[in-house]
Amino acid sequence: MTAALALAAMLAGDVTYTRDIAPLLNDRCAMCHHPGGSGPFSLLTYADVRRHAAQIVAVTARRYMPPWKADPSDGPFVGQHPLSADEIARIQRWVDGGAVEGDAHDLPPPARWTEGWQLGTPDVVLTLPEPYRLAASGTDVFRIFVLPVPIAAAKFVRALEFRPGNPAVVHHANIRIDPTPASKRLDEEQAGPGYEGLIAHSAQYPDGHFLGWTPGQVAPLLPKDLAWRLEPSSFIVAELHMQPSGRPETVAPSIGLYFSDVPATRTPAMLRLGRQSIDIPAGDAAYTITDSYVLPVDVEVEAVQPHAHYRARNVRGDATFPDGTKKELIAIAEWDFRWQHVYRFVTPIRLPKGTTLSMRYTYDNSADNPRNPDRPARRTRWGQRSSDEMGDLWIQVLTRDDRDLSTLERGFRPKVAAEDVIGYEVEIEKRPADAGLHDDVALLCLELGRAADAVKHFAASLALKPRSAAAHYNLATALTVAHRLDDAIAEYRRALVLDPDYANAHNNLGSALVGQGKYDEAIREYREVVRLQPSVVGGYVNLAAACAAAGDFTRAIEAIDAALKLNPPDALAGDLRRLRGAYLQK
Amino acid sequence: MARGFASIALAATLAASSQSVRVERLDGSLTNPFDWPSGTKAAAFVFVSTECPISNRYAPEIRRLVDAFAPKGVVFRLVYPNPADTADAIRHHLTGFDFGGVDPLRDPTQALVRFTGATVTPEAAVVMGGRVVYRGRIDDRYAALGVDRQTAATHDLEDALSAALAGRPAAHRTTQAVGCFIADFAR
Repeated sequence: MTAALALAAMLAGDVTYTRDIAPLLNDRCAMCHHPGGSGPFSLLTYADVRRHAAQIVAVTARRYMPPWKADPSDGPFVGQHPLSADEIARIQRWVDGGAVEGDAHDLPPPARWTEGWQLGTPDVVLTLPEPYRLAASGTDVFRIFVLPVPIAAAKFVRALEFRPGNPAVVHHANIRIDPTPASKRLDEEQAGPGYEGLIAHSAQYPDGHFLGWTPGQVAPLLPKDLAWRLEPSSFIVAELHMQPSGRPETVAPSIGLYFSDVPATRTPAMLRLGRQSIDIPAGDAAYTITDSYVLPVDVEVEAVQPHAHYRARNVRGDATFPDGTKKELIAIAEWDFRWQHVYRFVTPIRLPKGTTLSMRYTYDNSADNPRNPDRPARRTRWGQRSSDEMGDLWIQVLTRDDRDLSTLERGFRPKVAAEDVIGYEVEIEKRPADAGLHDDVALLCLELGRAADAVKHFAASLALKPRSAAAHYNLATALTVAHRLDDAIAEYRRALVLDPDYANAHNNLGSALVGQGKYDEAIREYREVVRLQPSVVGGYVNLAAACAAAGDFTRAIEAIDAALKLNPPDALAGDLRRLRGAYLQK
Repeated sequence: MARGFASIALAATLAASSQSVRVERLDGSLTNPFDWPSGTKAAAFVFVSTECPISNRYAPEIRRLVDAFAPKGVVFRLVYPNPADTADAIRHHLTGFDFGGVDPLRDPTQALVRFTGATVTPEAAVVMGGRVVYRGRIDDRYAALGVDRQTAATHDLEDALSAALAGRPAAHRTTQAVGCFIADFAR
């Protein structure tokens, strides 16, 4: 062997494409980098790979590709495809050694991927009536598409598969279910398919399940007992993050639904840690938020999803066991807004009651953060627009049984509602004339027992629409809860001036009057209720109680008889008959 | 071995002179990329490739610069340094991406790449009087692979062209462009 050949053999023999590189790339890259895939070019053959060799070294060394942002020691997660440091070094050595092809006999089996629907043929496929046209240039586009669900009866969904339609430009999709027509209305207000703005508050994750899509990620079919309930006449809301490609593009996403033939028996809980009080000074390179929650029951963590916008740098979530030992759930050292993965644990993480879940996110709002969209940096507060910031860690857990689920939800709900109130207040500062925001936050305040705050927000809403009977009614209701009966009664009366046939206002006014011992006045209001709603049981029941309180048992019995004629549910009917008996005694 | 070294040295010598650089038109004929109409004040070569998503995203920005500077005496040339970008592939590419009607050239031997010092697509070189007066990024939208800003704050190519037309040196003669490695195309 000559010296030159020996040298070549040494370099080539060290690392070859066929033996060392093809298996890696087939396993970690080919699922996106194939013809028609979301990768911009194929990496299936030696010729493909050789023409991108230095690029592959650069993007793997930076860990930009494969796009796996979590600390490789977390998980293991479903669909985890990171390269180890050794593997990255191997690619570097291969290119340094001349990107040698090697012996064809060493080639691994060809890369495999599934064309079309990854989960098989869906039971229902939803598409847009017309594709969206994405302009050639400009900043990233966030557009929300609203798809009616074409089912006649409620279904249990085992999987929702999203197909981007144009994988070259669709970067990720946030998906929610809106049981109300609110999203549809927002869609109709803007021309063309979809709308730009915020996801409606009524569009939510269904029953503790994540929905969404990032390239290379498909949520697996759920076990049948865990499927989620989808109601007819609801809407699937998909917010697509799209990047202009340099030429005009059409985007025609589709969604496939896979149903279960049996109802679900288990429901996960969706916990959310995070802060809506985020307020990052311009230039602050290490603004940190933390949050935590102590579990009141045993759980298994199924999946986690960190969410933040462009300025987040370092994102982590931990579980600290009652004995003080710590388990890292997720850590992302260099957060990238582009990769909003749901990280599903291969084996759920068991956490006993008393475990503390915690999150800690750090933001860099300085000019040194190249992802900072503002130059110069500006003060940045919480908000759902990508120009604002967010910091949430969603944690999906399963409880042992429904009793534990209800304990967990009762314990957790006030925490998340209180955080939402803070977010609403930030939104209201930006849009003080949006009565809907005041109404929504007032309802949350009522739920939290903060009647005085509810009064404040309903009053603000009323000031924006003083001719609305409903606004007076809402304020009156909050005043009632706040034990301000005189004020409440005055507001109910104002509602009734605007709308004399407002049955609920008559009813609640009646109840407020009962609270003040003004039974005769209350009876007049309840009589209006039964006049306006002669087929509703409740009006007669209230009327009966008020008549009895006023000592008029004959009228009370008449009202009960009228209620019984309406065939109320058995339990109520039984109660009414017992009451009737008691009134007869008197 | 000795012969190999000699040929590399020869190529370097040739590349030093703009007169010896030849590139291909789409019909396959060779042309001197520095032949331009009289009255041309400066030339801007923009290196692109058909399958590089970063260079494709710059098509509208390149068109904007062509529209702004061609009337002022700047000749633009779109250069495809990847030998795999065949004439047909380039024609197809130009039906999708609008680079402002600029003449496309193929540089399969990367002669013009060596002359200008370009390393990635997209990258630009401004030539005036036979000298490269600017070589580097079009703007600062990309900070690194996978790290791009919503909008650019510094428009380096635009600034270099304005400086050249005003007879001033560019603020930075070279900048680091971010994109797809031309070195890979030579393999």
